Amino acid sequence: MIEILQSGIHTSIQDIGRHHFKNFGVPVSGALDQSAYLIANSLLNNSPKAAVLECCIKGPKLKFHDNFYICLTGAEMNPRLNDKILKNYKPYPVNNGDELAFGVAKSGCRTYLGISGGIKTEKVLGSRSQYQNITSSDKISKNTLIPIGKSNFKPAVGTRVKEKKINYANKKIEVYEGPEFKYLEKEQQKLIEKKIFRISSFNNRMAYQLKEKFSHSLPQIWTSPVIPGTVQCTPDGSMIILMRDSQITGGYPRLLQLTESSIQLISQKTTNSKIRFKILPKII
Amino acid sequence: MKIIIKGVSDLSKFEISALNAKTILLEWRIEPSDTLLEHIIKFKSLVEKDFKVERCVTGYKSLLIEITNKIKSLNYWEEHLKKLQKKIKNIIIKGNHWKIPVCYDFKYAPDLLNLSKEINLDTSAVIKLHLSARYRVNFLGFLPGFLYLSGLDSRLYLQRKKKPLLKVPKGAVAIGGMQTGIYPNISPGGWHLIGNTPVNLFNPKKNPPCFAKPGDWISFEQIDPHTYAKIESEQQNGSHQLNKYD
Repeated sequence: MIEILQSGIHTSIQDIGRHHFKNFGVPVSGALDQSAYLIANSLLNNSPKAAVLECCIKGPKLKFHDNFYICLTGAEMNPRLNDKILKNYKPYPVNNGDELAFGVAKSGCRTYLGISGGIKTEKVLGSRSQYQNITSSDKISKNTLIPIGKSNFKPAVGTRVKEKKINYANKKIEVYEGPEFKYLEKEQQKLIEKKIFRISSFNNRMAYQLKEKFSHSLPQIWTSPVIPGTVQCTPDGSMIILMRDSQITGGYPRLLQLTESSIQLISQKTTNSKIRFKILPKII
Repeated sequence: MKIIIKGVSDLSKFEISALNAKTILLEWRIEPSDTLLEHIIKFKSLVEKDFKVERCVTGYKSLLIEITNKIKSLNYWEEHLKKLQKKIKNIIIKGNHWKIPVCYDFKYAPDLLNLSKEINLDTSAVIKLHLSARYRVNFLGFLPGFLYLSGLDSRLYLQRKKKPLLKVPKGAVAIGGMQTGIYPNISPGGWHLIGNTPVNLFNPKKNPPCFAKPGDWISFEQIDPHTYAKIESEQQNGSHQLNKYD
């Protein structure tokens, strides 16, 4: 068990996602930075689908009620085990009674805490990812206990991945043209790559809205599927990047589509971060 | 003599594009209709049997296909899907026809009076028109268990509210633009609330989590507040059986 002493800003249980119920309008959910999530599990020899804690901006304070191994990946969040400073991308043993606390993210926005054996809360519709009205809550709360699975994990001496140095400050967001991109005026098509956009304060697991508007005269569309990374543009020009908790269909024109690695990069960005879209050649 | 049925040839024409490295989007350029809906439902079930396909999601006139590996050639997929499409059988999708009990009393219908004024009908006429139609489930989206229904009487069309409500109650039956729908859970929403159903549209503890599927039909049945309370408590203890037409 892990006891939650303080919940942090928005800490939630996440896994690979809930993929099989899209036809019932159920969002995919799952860790926003799937790359960091998968590395945390692989360094602990967990199943790639094992559930972890996703910490956002400021992580929680936890107490371990058994001996485990833990591994942190993603954003640098000043993690301290009792008083010892931990590094990301390295498994550490923790003992019954140890406490783990986080500070505020220094670079990036989301940190993943993997635990050997994985989090074993109840699966709902095939996944443990927390989402309002599917799981009982959309985030973890203070004074609760989280069950952990069994594991025989022992790290090989000196295990630490050569940290893939991802520069979370990188502005370049790689995208494909979205289905309605072709209806934009030629000038607008060029402008969308030139313009610097900033992330607004409306950013969460559902969507990232951008501060700068992008005016256009496209009509709304017949409601059609959208996926994480789809960039919708409302009639008043608000650009909305859909994230993993987003709805699965939408009626606004879909101008762009982020690549999987760009979704991971943007999920490490927060309010006021600047981005610039780079359109990749069409897949043919 | 060769007979060309125009509708059929239009049905087979889709535009293909790649949404990302592993997602293909097919879109039809014709207006939504029951014929197109049934075509897409049948096409979807054929495509999902393909071992290279993970799953499909549908819209009014689109089919999204998630594939297992990265797209190597979109041309290959276009040819492959065109061949598959030819195998669609000319059968009618009957679908279940569900009776959804709705209470239209003002307590459950905060926008009924305003909507009836806006469209120049009295409230009983609004209720009568809303009850008289048979609605088709096109697909689910927006929220878990939210049904996109077609078939609303055009006399009931009314543009969405300028300012969406932050908390639409669970079960609210509403009209927005040319559509009617049921809010399966508390959520923000800009539609006009003309009634409420005690029936649970989405239960994550059940598989499938929603009784209705694309191609099914929905009719609304008027109930009084007393019956509403009765069904509500039956829903809570799990004894409520939703009625179907044969």
